[in-house]
Amino acid sequence: MVPSPQRLVGIEVQVKQSRAEIVAFVGSQILPHEADVRAWLRRTGSLAADVDDIVQETYCRLAALETVSHIASGRAYFFRTARNIAIERIRRARIVRIDCVTEIDALNVVDDEPSPERVVAGRRELRRVQALIEGLPERCRQIFTLRRIHGLSQREVATRLGVTENVVEAQAMRGLRLILRALSETSAQDHPSADKGHDRVPVRKRDR
Amino acid sequence: MTAFQSAKEIDDEAADWAARIDGRGLEAERDPRLQAWLAGDPRRAGAFLRAQAAISFLDRGRALAGADETAALDAAERPSRRALFAGAGGACAAALVGGATFWATRSQRLDTRLGEIRRVPLADGSLVAINTRTALDVALKARTRQITLRRGEAWFQVAKDAERPFVVSAGRVRVRAVGTAFSVRRGDDGVDVMVTEGVVETWIEGQDGPRRRVAAGNGVVLASTATPVMAKSPAEIERSLAWRNGEIALDGESLGDAASQFNRYNSRQIVIDDPRLAQERFVGLFRTNEPESFAAAVAATIGAKIEEDEHVIRLSRDRLS
Repeated sequence: MVPSPQRLVGIEVQVKQSRAEIVAFVGSQILPHEADVRAWLRRTGSLAADVDDIVQETYCRLAALETVSHIASGRAYFFRTARNIAIERIRRARIVRIDCVTEIDALNVVDDEPSPERVVAGRRELRRVQALIEGLPERCRQIFTLRRIHGLSQREVATRLGVTENVVEAQAMRGLRLILRALSETSAQDHPSADKGHDRVPVRKRDR
Repeated sequence: MTAFQSAKEIDDEAADWAARIDGRGLEAERDPRLQAWLAGDPRRAGAFLRAQAAISFLDRGRALAGADETAALDAAERPSRRALFAGAGGACAAALVGGATFWATRSQRLDTRLGEIRRVPLADGSLVAINTRTALDVALKARTRQITLRRGEAWFQVAKDAERPFVVSAGRVRVRAVGTAFSVRRGDDGVDVMVTEGVVETWIEGQDGPRRRVAAGNGVVLASTATPVMAKSPAEIERSLAWRNGEIALDGESLGDAASQFNRYNSRQIVIDDPRLAQERFVGLFRTNEPESFAAAVAATIGAKIEEDEHVIRLSRDRLS
């Protein structure tokens, strides 16, 4: 018998009920630690391309989860999963390298303990978001500030700036690419708090 | 597009999708083009989650900042609004044109690695099952749906759309369908077309003569050097398409044929040196990725001996039997 299309499609397209929750969890508990995980993988001797693949696969495993409620610490989970994937890759490699035992040993020293500074979340995170948006080219920065910080819809942003929605969308794509790259390069610790004690609205200094 | 995308290339495409879904307020689960893109490579689901998570991370800035931002809004906007108009007109227009064509005409590459079998829903509602070590390009255009089979084998369940014929190219061979299901396999000895539903029309580009119609339950080998046509029974066709469920179905095939079937899916190759043993007939249903089970079954029923290492499973006559 030819399998019915419904059955076949059912295997591929699973509607995940808690998608928004999973995205929010990954955005707040996983992604902020990506730069640290990458730095740690590089220290263990993984090549840059391998680091990219390992990190991507970690997100793939998260994407396959029905729920993330069992993950107590996103940071520890990220390090542990990346480590497991790295070890699997070493074992799977066709050519067994002479230094692979040392590599696995290196991976066993997992650096997932948050240092005291990392625990101070809120305000620091806000500054990081601010720094990421400020790092964008002018037009992107404009659109991201209105859209993400002030919560305007894409249409409202377009109206406000007197451009079409397509222009806003093209800029949003460009900006998100740049921000994803920046997130993989800059650690949460790279943005020391400059002005402690101020809960300032995240806009550029010259606009204040 | 390149044959195999790097993680960074996937990250960039994922950013585009996440920005688009977010900007237009679409539902990711209900966007068929996004779903088709996601299904094109298992790594994309992770990259897309990451891109969506980055948006969510940026939105935390708003959540953490709290109120009192409306006043700052105008201040933030005013100086650079002018800059946007002054410097960016041409670049914006260019970006707009690029954005519009990006979604419409881009063809999608679908790949499988050794042993991988995947089912991928296409944006037009069709479904493609892709067998091991296959590469195909999908271009869904306004007037045609063009699939180019670069190598390997795929089975298509075509969504009915009389306005847009669905044409699969494999070298010079063309297979045209409207609402049918069929498979195309590119091998060393020609292109094997098998039809499981409806009728397809096949021809060879640049060759005169009538187009050949192939109906459900029939198969044909085209552009072959050895046998021009090979009839197949419906049962045979179903059996040769068992790979869609990750299975190899054997019903009296020789051990040599069976071994080469398993060897399509696994880096660990089955080797049968003895030609007489290779001609033994065998019946059974196996997982494509379990050549060991097949070898064990052969050993138990025919009395063969197994020698195996990391790369090879060698079957030979057991001298004692």
